[in-house]
Amino acid sequence: MDSSQFNNQILILSDKLFRLAKSILRNDMAAEDAVQELHLKLWEKRKTLDEVENISAFTFKSMRNLCLDLIRINKDEVELPPETEYDEINPYQQTEIKDMVTCIRNLIDNLPELQRTIIKMRDVEGFELSEIAFITNLTENAVTVNLSRARQKIREKILTEQKKVEQTIWKK
Amino acid sequence: MEKIDDLLEKYFRGETTLAEEQVLKQYFKTGQIQPAHEMYRPLFEAFEQELSVKASSPVHNNVSKKRNIKLLWIQTISFTGIAAALLLALWIIRPQETNDNYAVISGDRIEDTDFAQKYAEKKLNKVNDILINSMKPMQNIDKARQSLKQINKISETRDKIQEIQNKIQIK
Repeated sequence: MDSSQFNNQILILSDKLFRLAKSILRNDMAAEDAVQELHLKLWEKRKTLDEVENISAFTFKSMRNLCLDLIRINKDEVELPPETEYDEINPYQQTEIKDMVTCIRNLIDNLPELQRTIIKMRDVEGFELSEIAFITNLTENAVTVNLSRARQKIREKILTEQKKVEQTIWKK
Repeated sequence: MEKIDDLLEKYFRGETTLAEEQVLKQYFKTGQIQPAHEMYRPLFEAFEQELSVKASSPVHNNVSKKRNIKLLWIQTISFTGIAAALLLALWIIRPQETNDNYAVISGDRIEDTDFAQKYAEKKLNKVNDILINSMKPMQNIDKARQSLKQINKISETRDKIQEIQNKIQIK
C-alpha cells in the first residue's frame, strides 16, 4: 500500500475512527491521540495491508483493540465492564439534559462498551453485522443480541419519558 | 404507518437490514411523522448529531508528513551508514596491488613501460658489445687451430716416410 492508497483507504476514515475512539475512551484528546497512534502503526505495517480483505473493518477493529488496550493500561480510566448495566443518570446530569436528543446521546454514551460500540457502528456508521462481528470478535448472532439489548434500553427510556410527559399532561 | 410500526419492532429486536434502517432514518428526517412515532424522532436525531462529531485537529495527512520527515531522517542515516560500511569493507578487503609490470632501476621502481624497454635495450646492446669484444680472442684461437691443421699434415707425411723407409730396409 503506497502513500496515496493509505490516504484514500485509511486516513479518510479519521473522523469515523475518532468517533469510535471517543466513544470508548470518553475523552476527545485521548481519542485524537489514539487515532494518530493507530495511523502510525498502520503506516508502519502498510506493506502487509494489501493482504487485508476489508481494510475498513480491519482498521476499526485495530482502533477498538488499541482503545481497549489503552484503557487496560490506564487503570484510572472510568470504564464500565462489558456486562455492567446502565445506571440511571444522576441529578447533576439530569439538569444538563435539555432535550430528549441529548438525553438519548447520554444514554448511549453510558451503555456498556460493547453495546455502545455496536449501536454506534450500526446506527451511526452504518456497518454490516458481519463487519461489526469482525471488529468486535463476536459472532453475528452475538452482535444482534447486543444490538437489540442496546436499542431496547433506549426504547425503555423513551417510553418512560413518554409516560412522564403523558402523566404531566393528564394532571393538567 | 403499519409498515413503519413493523420496521420499528424489527429495529428494536436488532433484525432490520441496513436498507430498512435507511427507510426509518429517512422517515424520521422528513418531518411528516405520525404522532405515535414522534417519541422515536430524538433517537434518530441523536444518530444524525453523532455523525457530525469530527476530530478537532486535522488528523488527515499528518501521518504522511510526520512519517515523511521521520522517513527522510531514517533514509539519510541509513544511506550514510551503508556508504560508510561499504567504504570500510572496500578498505579492508581491497585487492592487493599486484602490478607486476614494473622494473627496478638503481633501486627505483619504474612503471613506465617504454622507458623500461628502452633502458633494457640499451643495456642489452651494451652486453652484446661486451660479448663481441670478449669473443675476439676466440677468433684467434680458431686461426691457430687452422694453422695446427697444417702441422697435423706434417706428422702424417712423416709417418708415410717412415713406412716407406721400413719397406726399403726389409728389401
